[in-house]
Amino acid sequence: MRWVKDNIDKVKANVTARAVAVDVDTAVSLYDAYLALVTATDDARRQRNLVASRMKIEAAKMTPDVRAEVIAQGKALKASVTSLESRLAQAESAFVAEAAKLPNRTHPDVPLGAEDAATTLRTVGAPRDFPADGMAPRSHVDIGADLDLFDFEAAARVAGNKFYYLKNAGALLEIALINWSMTFVAGRGFTPMTAPDLAREDVVAGCGFAPRGEASQVYRLEESDLCLVGTAEIPLGGMYAGQVLTSKQLPMRLAAFSHCFRREVGSAGTATRGLYRVHQFSKVELFVIARPEDSEAIHKELLGLEEAMFTALGLCYRVLDMPSGDLGNPAYRKFDIEAWMPGRGIGGGWGEISSASNCTDFQARRLGIRYREESSDDEAAAGSRDASVGGKGATRYAHTLNATACAVPRIDCRHFWKTTSKPTEA
Amino acid sequence: MKIEAAKMTPDVRAEVIAQGKALKASVTSLESRLAQAESAFVAEAAKLPNRTHPDVPLGAEDAATTLRTVGAPRDFPADGMAPRSHVDIGADLDLFDFEAAARVAGNKFYYLKNAGALLEIALINWSMTFVAGRGFTPMTAPDLAREDVVAGCGFAPRGEASQVYRLEESDLCLVGTAEIPLGGMYAGQVLTSKQLPMRLAAFSHCFRREVGSAGTATRGLYRVHQFSKVELFVIARPEDSEAIHKELLGLEEAMFTALGLCYRVLDMPSGDLGNPAYRKFDIEAWMPGRGIGGGWGEISSASNCTDFQARRLGIRYREESSDDEAAAGSRDASVGGKGATRYAHTLNATACAVPRMIVAILENNVQADGSVRVPDVLRPFMGGLDVIRQS
Repeated sequence: MRWVKDNIDKVKANVTARAVAVDVDTAVSLYDAYLALVTATDDARRQRNLVASRMKIEAAKMTPDVRAEVIAQGKALKASVTSLESRLAQAESAFVAEAAKLPNRTHPDVPLGAEDAATTLRTVGAPRDFPADGMAPRSHVDIGADLDLFDFEAAARVAGNKFYYLKNAGALLEIALINWSMTFVAGRGFTPMTAPDLAREDVVAGCGFAPRGEASQVYRLEESDLCLVGTAEIPLGGMYAGQVLTSKQLPMRLAAFSHCFRREVGSAGTATRGLYRVHQFSKVELFVIARPEDSEAIHKELLGLEEAMFTALGLCYRVLDMPSGDLGNPAYRKFDIEAWMPGRGIGGGWGEISSASNCTDFQARRLGIRYREESSDDEAAAGSRDASVGGKGATRYAHTLNATACAVPRIDCRHFWKTTSKPTEA
Repeated sequence: MKIEAAKMTPDVRAEVIAQGKALKASVTSLESRLAQAESAFVAEAAKLPNRTHPDVPLGAEDAATTLRTVGAPRDFPADGMAPRSHVDIGADLDLFDFEAAARVAGNKFYYLKNAGALLEIALINWSMTFVAGRGFTPMTAPDLAREDVVAGCGFAPRGEASQVYRLEESDLCLVGTAEIPLGGMYAGQVLTSKQLPMRLAAFSHCFRREVGSAGTATRGLYRVHQFSKVELFVIARPEDSEAIHKELLGLEEAMFTALGLCYRVLDMPSGDLGNPAYRKFDIEAWMPGRGIGGGWGEISSASNCTDFQARRLGIRYREESSDDEAAAGSRDASVGGKGATRYAHTLNATACAVPRMIVAILENNVQADGSVRVPDVLRPFMGGLDVIRQS
């Protein structure tokens, strides 16, 4: 917050560029009010303690008059402390609630603007030429219906719209995609994992997602502080919350399979047919904890890994540098990959299949993920006290990054168009 | 009134109108009482359990009949070893994290790591492939289902003893087994006998509150709130359900034999059937690390629910012969003619409950140096890995 106050104009400009609904001035004044109460409460406590120890030491020597006066003083101070502590708690709550809305800083290369301002970094492959094959592009919904791969109607009766069953080769495709993508990333140094689909509210919030509220994408359990996770990023971040790692453990590369659940609030309308936007899906997610100095390079590494996978699957895709208005709160910079989906809209369109974010220390601060620099030579570390690290014992916030290795339904969409042949050959 | 109003004298009309009003009020009152009576009757009658197969042993949990034991518990002393719990084996090989999961979600949650994660994915892949090759339609199913679907399958979606997690501000529940979304898939449907038996195998995550299971053996993977499972579900003609029950049991045994497990088959007793099952076969694997000196632990359950679920979910079928004229000519009294529908029978069986399988595999395949032999059939699904060692 001190940094925010010192750089308030930059922060306001960033908030505007990222189109986030937060009042920076309010957050700062709430912070100042909170700080003032911290001081006042500490002072009151100190005075109360002084009077209490005076009572302990001198009580025997006091005249009844003086003793009564000191006792009254002590009671007044105690009441004062209690009142201040209560106001302090409220002030902290109010300040945190507002300040928590502040988005992360933004990488200088991020294009300014709304969703359509994304920069296309590169396009790999070319959209398939259907007329050359004597065909018209078809939606995955129709392709899948012919091949008996899905059941949306039964799922709507059992659970509601935007749920689905996969059948036959559709089910085999999901299981194969999970198996293949997990094997691929494990071979690139990522620890393969499975993670719980449930996490506590505070873990969800610590990752930068809103567990409550009308616009929340998060399903909550009744009579519980547990939520269904929207991505394995949440249980992975939570795994290291409150932990102090060593620099030797970093970068820590994790790849977890989980089911993901999203309320998809506010997405009624076009393109809601089929698998493109659903309430539940399987995903293999990459999560890295890194030293701040390494996070930019690792962000590029994650992007390269995704591109290697989508190239291996034979997809035509493009890489976008996401604009300031479409970053979400936690990301410092975000690269999205969109695959060409011939059945999306009229004549086809690009559809997001992955997203790779560098969250710098945004999540690490909220979750409390720190690390300590360790050199292999302890004496050298003791001898060269690095001021920025503050000496051998000091900890720093780590950086966290996340990237989609495989969001199964989106890959299913893309795969069907890639491999579909003429109807008679089914 | 409609027909004769015009012909009536004012006196008669007033009388008839008054009569009509009184009757209308009477109907409204009766309808309300009817709804309450139906509610009360259904609530109580729904507690009635299914009928019981005559061969089912009478009694509580310990009255189960052991039908057969396959293989023999491993002789650890002969290998110069003591049996170990999967928790310890997994800790040495860095396969689990229970502590982090307890912080993130609570007790009885877990992360699988390294070969532990690969083992889960291999088990799902292998078991799905196995049953698909035996005529089961491979599927994935939603992990969420509406309350009425849960209740229709014979599970209690509400109440203190309920095993079901519910979503806030929603009628959706987390499923405890894919049996629920599979049964729900055909709720209210009228199938044809040609579609039966319909054999389905679905992969889903399963969630259970595990109410009332604090105590022994809660360490590790044996009893957890979330797990992966491949579940078999069959819709059948009543005449076929007993044979299919045996078929499902045979399929499970083929799988556990292929994995090299020592197991026993139990005919579950009347006091341990749960409400929906007419008969239930459980399979327990020998788990060397369970309790002192090892013990049997349930790895699968196969139930014939006859028409219990079908009645509640409304799963019917119509007999169809290939010769329509013959069907029209021979009006079978029990079927009530060509147009009549009957309730189908439903069955379900566990093909693979991943955590229990991991427990059995780790505890039985651990070697003296702490490494674990990967069952042959799983190796192709784990990149050829034959032994899990410390990394």
